[in-house]
Order: sequence, then structure tokens, then C-alpha cells
Amino acid sequence: MKTYRPSETVDFVIVGSGAAGGVLARELANARLSVVVLEQGPRVYPTDLRHDELKNWFLGGLAVDPIRNRQSFRRSASETAVAPLVRPPLFYARCVGGSSMHYTANYWRFREIDFRERSVLGEISGTGFADWPISYAELEPYYTKVDWEIGVSGQAGLDPNDSPRSKPYPMPPVRVKSSGVLFERGARKLGWNPVPAPLAINSVPYGGRPACVHCGFCHGFGCEVMAKAATAWTTIPQAEATGNCEIRAESYVSRIETDKRGRVTGAAYFDASGKEQFQKARAVVLAANGGETARLLLNSAGPRFPQGLANSSGLVGKYLMFNYTARVNALFEHELNEYKSVQVTRILHDFYDSDPKRGFYGGGGLDCRIGPQPAFWAIRTASDGPAWGKGYKERLREFPRSMQVSCHTTSLALESNNISIDPTLKDAWGIPAIRVTYRDHPDDLAMARWLQDRGVEIMEAAGSLRTTKGPVTESSLAFHLLGTCRMGNDPAKSVVDKFHRAHDVRNLFICDGSSLVTSGRGQPTMTIQALAFRAGEHIARYARRNEI
Amino acid sequence: MGQQLTRRDTLRALGAFTAAGAFDWPAIARAAHEAHAAAQSAAVAGAPLTYTLLGAADAADVEALTSQIIPSDDTPGAREAGVTYFIDRALGSFFAHWRPTFMQGLNGFQAAVRAAYPQAASFAALSSDQQIEFLHTVDRTPFFEQARLLTGCGMFMDPSYGGNRDNVGWKLLGFEDQHTFEPPFGYYDR
Repeated sequence: MKTYRPSETVDFVIVGSGAAGGVLARELANARLSVVVLEQGPRVYPTDLRHDELKNWFLGGLAVDPIRNRQSFRRSASETAVAPLVRPPLFYARCVGGSSMHYTANYWRFREIDFRERSVLGEISGTGFADWPISYAELEPYYTKVDWEIGVSGQAGLDPNDSPRSKPYPMPPVRVKSSGVLFERGARKLGWNPVPAPLAINSVPYGGRPACVHCGFCHGFGCEVMAKAATAWTTIPQAEATGNCEIRAESYVSRIETDKRGRVTGAAYFDASGKEQFQKARAVVLAANGGETARLLLNSAGPRFPQGLANSSGLVGKYLMFNYTARVNALFEHELNEYKSVQVTRILHDFYDSDPKRGFYGGGGLDCRIGPQPAFWAIRTASDGPAWGKGYKERLREFPRSMQVSCHTTSLALESNNISIDPTLKDAWGIPAIRVTYRDHPDDLAMARWLQDRGVEIMEAAGSLRTTKGPVTESSLAFHLLGTCRMGNDPAKSVVDKFHRAHDVRNLFICDGSSLVTSGRGQPTMTIQALAFRAGEHIARYARRNEI
Repeated sequence: MGQQLTRRDTLRALGAFTAAGAFDWPAIARAAHEAHAAAQSAAVAGAPLTYTLLGAADAADVEALTSQIIPSDDTPGAREAGVTYFIDRALGSFFAHWRPTFMQGLNGFQAAVRAAYPQAASFAALSSDQQIEFLHTVDRTPFFEQARLLTGCGMFMDPSYGGNRDNVGWKLLGFEDQHTFEPPFGYYDR
């Protein structure tokens, strides 16, 4: 496998090896460009993975942990941010493959409306609601690329409102579970259009990887048989096979350096032994996720860039969007055993569009699942019923007969929701820590409650014995880290251009969740990855033409 | 760490790292499960029978409290799962960063018990009805929340951490600890 010396000037350093970084690595390496991917976490193999909820949710098994990867949280700028003891507020995976390792792998495309919603609906005052600089049609070929090159199972043509697609899915949907049967039954009675869930999980052997063995540990876990398409098993080995790409694990980037002309020169990082290194590069691509990318830019401030690298707009870190997920819990007469197999097998997009008649902005999508795995389910089930004692224990016995409808909704872009650098807190490497400031827009919560009522209707129509609503309270934990370096045509109102080049720095590119202008309706990874395929093509072209 | 190595070694021995195409995934998943189960029983065999962090009086109160959160009836509860041993072990090792708030919270909890029941020696010494009555007055406090979370962890997390003994938590839920399943999964997808 190819390796490079840090003193060697490679064509590209990519920071992050997740959904976006893993794809960019392959696209650039395929174009015969030399690439070093710096990944803060370790390389993890299928045989390292365990069904260990405590380790994965509390001890940083794959993800950030509250001891080494400290982050602080507050709701508004008037509060002092506090670092939570249980879990950092931005919960992402730090390993080769990034959060594509531990995601649920729901692969929803955004729709045409997502890219031009501001034009259709008009301004929403006090928000950064905006159109994208690209259309669905421009991104469609790359969505199809994700379907076929990453591997997405699903069934096209069933949803009358689905966006146009140039090719069918390469695999049939994963077999329906009991939750899917009930969800579909209820939704159909109401005249709605439930469809099989598109998943980046193999329903049949595909891409040299086996089909799902139905173990049930997708959400928050790595796939032991590689049926779930983490980039660690898809594009990353392909990038390495080109002979042009080194994946350097346990390499935690602290700073992007710039020269007197304002060009980036490479990335400073801590290696596995904690020693500082510097990898020289002709250009840098940031794909470290919507939290870490913004933090890295802000921590890379210097004389030429006093408010952070690539931040002349002042928008680096701003417009953070989480998506909201409200829950409906339902009990049925017979066993569903939802802890088995993939998390989701049916979804519903009938309420995708925002409807002014509702009196607030928002749209969403519903899916069905158990929610988290058993221990976490048991802990969380106290939130909408008895929290302890006999009643709680009775509730726990209902686990096999329970399911959940998840109601995923939009988040509006607000400047007051953002990533900044905590003035005092540092992580275990001494790097100034992320401070998250976040309070859901009232419309986000209104939409979540509205969609939750639709979830209740579906479960009641399906014959649920008892349906309860989970609490809809302000967010304090996020898996979707979006919007913090948004793309746009106007350098005063965005951080990167429509090809992901930083407006302020010619040889700096940014492509990950931070690029998103709007939040979609939950499930952003498909779009992040389509953007990465598209960005990879354009960035490779720039490099070949010596335009970096 | 030792458990992971054991498991990886098992898989290596099975030839999981041979050329692509020769992978026998069901066999690998089975091996994964066997290694997982072996690690669990080894850990349980070594689980502590004495408290290393909590004093006897504190341990008795924690045991009484967690046993009210998940009581024992016709099926095992927090007591049989070894939740107090789990908490003792957790706060002394992997959850050491939770210890200051927990111990401070426990002191506050005990002070509140003394204020409410001046004649009682401790929370553990109260009758079950009294314990339940008192808990209704404190079940929204951060300490109770933390105790509830630790009880959930001790009851339902992997037995290798010292709780969920004999998988009693998983049996309560009806969860089968397996690495592969075959459809149908439930009644409605038959």
C-alpha cells in the first residue's frame, strides 16, 4: 500500500474519511492525484466490532466520548456552555469510515423542492433560509452514482411524488419486517403511500460484500459482515488499490496552515503517539463533518484570516442544522421482535412538502423501527410512561411487541445556531474545543409535533393497542451536522462555491454535511455523498488543469 | 481489550482473513457470537462479589434504590442482575467521570431521607412502601435520573461489565443475544 512522507508535497490532503472523505479519496486517487487522508480515529476491522451498547453509546467505542473529545453546549449566546458528562452533543463516529460506519444507512434522496424551496415559499424572516446554487437535476447523476457505486437497496416507481431518477436501484429492498407490515397497513388505510426504505445495506450480495444477516445492530454500530456500506468497506479500499492514496488513521488534524499569499500549505496533526506532524499538500479538502470542519477553520485563524480560515463571510460555523426526530411508540398484540434485522423497512414521504395551510414552515418523512437496541430502548422507554417501579417493569416486558414511528423533519438555518470555539475548554490533545449553541426554531418543533400526530394516526389505523408520543423538547444531541460552511454563489453569503471551493482560498475545498444549504427531511448522508462524488469530479479537473 | 483479541484470534483461526470470495459469513457470524459469549462468561466469572468503591451503608441505599427502579417480582429485577455491583465497578473505572456527581447526589439523597424520616436509620431501612413514597418526591432530580440511567446500564448492558447477570435483563425484555437471524422476525411478517 502506498505511503507518503509528511515532508513530501502530495496533491491533496483530505481531512476525514467518512461518507464524504471516503468518496473524495477514491475520486481524486482514481484521477491519478496523490492523496493522504488524515483520519482522527483508528482503522477498525469487522472483527473488532461488537454488539456492545455501553461501549458504543457511552465509552466512545466508535464515536466521540465525553472525556477525550470534549464539546460544550448551550441554548443561546447569553448562557455559559457546559460540557455534558454522558455524551458530547455532536455525536459522530471517529474511525476510518467516519459516521458511515455507525449510521442507520437510510438513503433518502433530497427532492427537487429542497434545492429551491426559498424561491417557492418566500423569505422566512429571521432565518438564513436560502436556495441552493445547484438543482436536483445537476445532482441526480451523482445520486445514481451513490446508488450503484456505494450500493443502495430499494424500489423505485412506487412513490408518485418521488423525484425523477435516471436508473433503478441496483438491489431489491431488504425484506420487510413486522413494523413495516403494520406501518404500511395503517398508512394505506389512511390513503397514503408507504414505500420500501432505500438503504445503503445489501439485500443481496453486492460490490463484493455479502447480504445482511439481520443482526439488528446498525444504528450506532459497525456492520460485522460489511453488508452496511461504510466507506471503510467501499470506496476507501478502492482508493488504496489505485496506489495513489494513503489512509493515515489516528492522525488528528489541529490546524490548516497558510502561507503569506493566503494559500493553504498542508495540515498540522497529532499522530498516534501524540506527536505533532505536518503533511504538505498542494491543496486541502475538508470533509471532517459539519462540526469538526467548522471548528478546524475557526482554529486555523491567522494574521491573514483573523476570524478563521475561509471566513470572510462570517458564516463558518453558522446555520447549524440537526434535523428533528419525534417518536411515536406503539404496542401491538403479537410479537414484532423489532430488534432483529435492519432498523427500517418502510417509509412515508406524503408530508415532504411544506404546506402554508399548517401555519408554519416544515416538511418531513416518517419511518418505522424499534428505535435503539435493547439496553438503550429500555432506558429511553421511561420518557413516555412510568419511569421506574412496577409500571416501568411491565413496560419493559412489552419490548418484543413494541415499535416506533420516527418522524424526521426540517431544521431552519439560523445564525444563532452555530459552532464556535469554547473560550476555555480544550480536548485531550489540547485543541480548543467545539462549543455548540443551538435552539430549535419554533417551526421545527411545530412540524415535529404535527408529523408525530400523523404517526399516531398510522399506528392507530394499524390496530395498535396503545400509542404514546415521545417528548418533543429542544434538541441537545445531534447526529446530523449540517449547514456550517454552506455553498452559494455570493461570497458574502456563503463559504464555498457551487463546486465546493472556498470563496476565500483557491486551494481549499470543503465538502461534507457543512455544505448543505437546507436540511432536507432527515437522512442527509445520501446527499452528502452525492455532493462528494460531484465535488471529486470537479476538484480533480481543477487539479489536472493546474487550477488549485 | 483481551476479549477483543480473543475474538479476533478466533476469527483469524477460522480463516476470515483469507482471499475475498472464500468468506463464509454465517460461520464468521457464528464465531463472532461464540467469542462474544465466551468473553461474557469469562467476565461474569470474574465479576466482583464485594464492593470496592461504595461503603456498606451507601451500597445498601443504592441497592434499595435501584431495586425500586426495577423491582424483583416473579422475575428477577435490578438486585438479581447485580446492578449495585455494576455501579460500584463502573464508578471506579469506566464511569469514573460520573462519580463526583453521583456521590454528591447520593449524599443529598440521604440527607433528604433523614429530613423526611428523622427516625429512620437510612433509605434502605425504610419499608418498601415508605421508599416508594419518598421516591415520588425526588424522582425528577438529577441524582435520580443518573441512578435510573446507571440502573438501566447495569440491568441491560453487556454482561461483561458485571451487570445483567445470567442475562436476566435481556430475558426480561425478550431479547435474544445473537449475531444472525432468519426471517420471519415476528408475527406480522410471517
